[in-house]
Amino acid sequence: MMTTIVFFVAGVVASVLVLLCCSRGASTNLFHLTLIITATVCCWMMWAIVYLAQLKPLIVPILSEGE
Amino acid sequence: MKLFEDLPPMDHLRSEDMSLVQIIIPVESAHRAVSYLGELGLLQLKDLNEEKSPFQRTFVNQVKRCGEMSRKLRFFGDQISKAGITASPCPASQQVIDLEELEVRLSEHEAELLEMNANNEKLQQTYNELLEFKLVLLKAGGFLVAAQNHAVPAETELVESKYSKKDDESLFLLEQSVQPESSSKAGLRFISGIICKSKELTFERMLFRATRGNMFFNQAPAGEQVMDPVSGEMVEKTVFVVFFSGEQAKNKILKICQAFGASCYPVPEENSKQMQLTREVSLRLSELEATLDAGNRHRNKALASIASQQWNWTIMVKKEKGVYDTLNMLNFDVTKKCLVGEGWCPTFAKPQIKEVLEHATIHSNSQVGIIFHDMDSFESPPTYFRTNRFTHAFQEIVDAYGVARYKEANPAVYSVITFPFLFAVMFGDWGHGLCLLLGSLILILREKKLGSQKLGSFMEMAFGGRYVVLLMALFSIYCGLIYNEFFSVPFHIFGKSAYKCLESSCSDAHTAGLIKYRDPYPFGVDPRWRGSRSELPFLNSIKMKMSILLGVSQMNLGIILSYFDAKFHGSFLDIRYQFMPQMIFLNSLFGYLALLIVIKWCTGSQADLYHVMIYMFLDPTGDLGENQLFWGQKELQILLLLMAIIAVPWMLFPKPFILRKLHTERFQGRTYGILGTSEMDLDQDPDSARRQHHEDFNFSEVFVHQMIHSIEFVLGAVSNTASYLRLWALSLAHSELSTVFYEKLLLLAWGYDSVIVRIAGLAVFAFATAFILLMMETLSAFLHALRLHWVEFMGKFYHGDGYKFKPFSFKLLADEED
Repeated sequence: MMTTIVFFVAGVVASVLVLLCCSRGASTNLFHLTLIITATVCCWMMWAIVYLAQLKPLIVPILSEGE
Repeated sequence: MKLFEDLPPMDHLRSEDMSLVQIIIPVESAHRAVSYLGELGLLQLKDLNEEKSPFQRTFVNQVKRCGEMSRKLRFFGDQISKAGITASPCPASQQVIDLEELEVRLSEHEAELLEMNANNEKLQQTYNELLEFKLVLLKAGGFLVAAQNHAVPAETELVESKYSKKDDESLFLLEQSVQPESSSKAGLRFISGIICKSKELTFERMLFRATRGNMFFNQAPAGEQVMDPVSGEMVEKTVFVVFFSGEQAKNKILKICQAFGASCYPVPEENSKQMQLTREVSLRLSELEATLDAGNRHRNKALASIASQQWNWTIMVKKEKGVYDTLNMLNFDVTKKCLVGEGWCPTFAKPQIKEVLEHATIHSNSQVGIIFHDMDSFESPPTYFRTNRFTHAFQEIVDAYGVARYKEANPAVYSVITFPFLFAVMFGDWGHGLCLLLGSLILILREKKLGSQKLGSFMEMAFGGRYVVLLMALFSIYCGLIYNEFFSVPFHIFGKSAYKCLESSCSDAHTAGLIKYRDPYPFGVDPRWRGSRSELPFLNSIKMKMSILLGVSQMNLGIILSYFDAKFHGSFLDIRYQFMPQMIFLNSLFGYLALLIVIKWCTGSQADLYHVMIYMFLDPTGDLGENQLFWGQKELQILLLLMAIIAVPWMLFPKPFILRKLHTERFQGRTYGILGTSEMDLDQDPDSARRQHHEDFNFSEVFVHQMIHSIEFVLGAVSNTASYLRLWALSLAHSELSTVFYEKLLLLAWGYDSVIVRIAGLAVFAFATAFILLMMETLSAFLHALRLHWVEFMGKFYHGDGYKFKPFSFKLLADEED
């Protein structure tokens, strides 16, 4: 849950930064914003999937010989 | 929804507004106006003279002249490269040369060059002949001396017997006493010459046959290589002397010599004369060499002076040709004093174009201004996206599938992120990602330098896609951190692993395994999985489910984009009868699957999802038993199944019928309308885009089209979802390859103590990683990510049947022909 908030905050910070430093007209800003939101959502999904999958695993690591 | 309507239109989402414009230019400012328009590069003129052949057009002569000039320039280019002169192009010394002046200069240069080349050739030929003569003299001299011994026995037998035992040198001194005429009196004559070594054997045989064996043939290799005038290469030649008697034999031999391309040179029989001749020939040869050298130097100087200007001239000629080609697209109007043209331009560019046309009017001192105004059109405008160097590559990737229709949603907006992201899902290794990052940063930092050079085709592609590779690298690093693979080695970067042995002695670690004693590893895959026996089943399960989840989200995004498209075009028909059933169908089946996956993960249930999905169709009312994930699942499943089944005819039937109804309503009063508009038709330009289109409504065609579309969607829903499993497959392949290289190459080599073996192992590992993993896997993942975008994502909403805006621009001309 905490990490989700981290992602959300990172997304907001990134979009604010982009709006501040390369603000170039309303429609371009919207485009940049879309890119940042898409990237944040993709990264968050990737993390969330892998995290959820390990929450209540059905199998455990069985070490192989020689480890 | 109100929020969406308040937003400004997004850059890049839809094509720029284009307007059809008409320009009327007076003839005296035509050339200047068109060249200024070419500099600006924002107007695409339509070809109003399409039916005319190239020879019927107005400015055909000028085009021909430009063609001649570019031919001459190409000729110069050939000559320059043959002479091996590298031209450092004189940086645009913008001496504005007039076209006629340039033409004259070019023809002068060409005549000069041709003359020099011809002279050169002649000199070279003479040189060759002299060289051959010299060789013949040298070698044949030897034969003839020996031949004196074999002179006709009747006359010189006595002489021979005295001399045959002595060696050649003493013979030289006594030569002069030998009667030179004796051989000619005796009828034994000879022909000396030189022939290609390869033909020598057949030549000899032919001579033997022709003279019926009454000849004596002697030959020796020439020793030096001679330039063959025909092929221009150096070939081995053989000097020969043929002794024969009789006039007829002589004729035959001469003819055979001619046929075989052997050159015959008369060699005097006396030794002194031979030596004198040899001296003369050598003198002449050295003179010729000097002359040839001087000639070459002169030519090279001329070529160098041309070379420095050649680039500029070529560009100028190309521009002129472009201008005349464009002028050819315009029409003369009734008064023959103006040229009329139609074209497309972006609406934002109209003031710029007006300004440029005004400049042209002023600079050409024309009395009449240029008229520039809008026209209506029924034709679909070209599509134009204003891309910068970052978005250009992504737009190219989308355009490779199909150029967007005018004002259609542009998938490149999302592809900028999702394409590198899907690539990274298949490539995920942050070590390899770092290498890619390094490569792309090198390309980007040396952008200016590389951009001005001419690169090989592979480098050019890599350079063009440098920003794509940069994003791919960044996302690969991220996914690599999530998969926890650094050249397939896991790290404990984000804290301690969640697994430990049950007992401190780890006695059953190899049978029952470790246990999970804390919260899951906070970021990514737990490092303890690497190397364990149950690693593959675990990772496979994660990656397969991840592929399904990512796939369902991307497909939903595609369908939602089709909603926004339909809303933009105001087509409520599409929204109600296409978007909604599509959403319902996809989500009630595969969205439900995604939901089940998430629930299974959250609850840790042992339900078998395959079983659940299959039996949802086979036996929806049956009891779920241990596969139950939540309360009310069976009822929900029945509901979803019913909704999916309803959605299919919903997307299939209503739309064609409603379209037919709308069509009949719209065109009911049409027959009356035609009478009113007939007068307008007369003064319309027959080629203009204002031609009305006859719309016939073919119901069966529309129905079949809708049926194909629906079937494609329904079947595609299953196949596309399964297609996303390639994300799992390629990611598995990459990880396994990487593991194999690491364990079997690096670790194996490191096991030995010797430094040489270690270095060799490191080298082979680096080599294999670079070529197989970095190059082949990159290309492979790139290709599959591309396919996922083109088919699964863009298939949901994209038509891609537009055409690209290709303005008349000098910059584009210069780029395109290179």
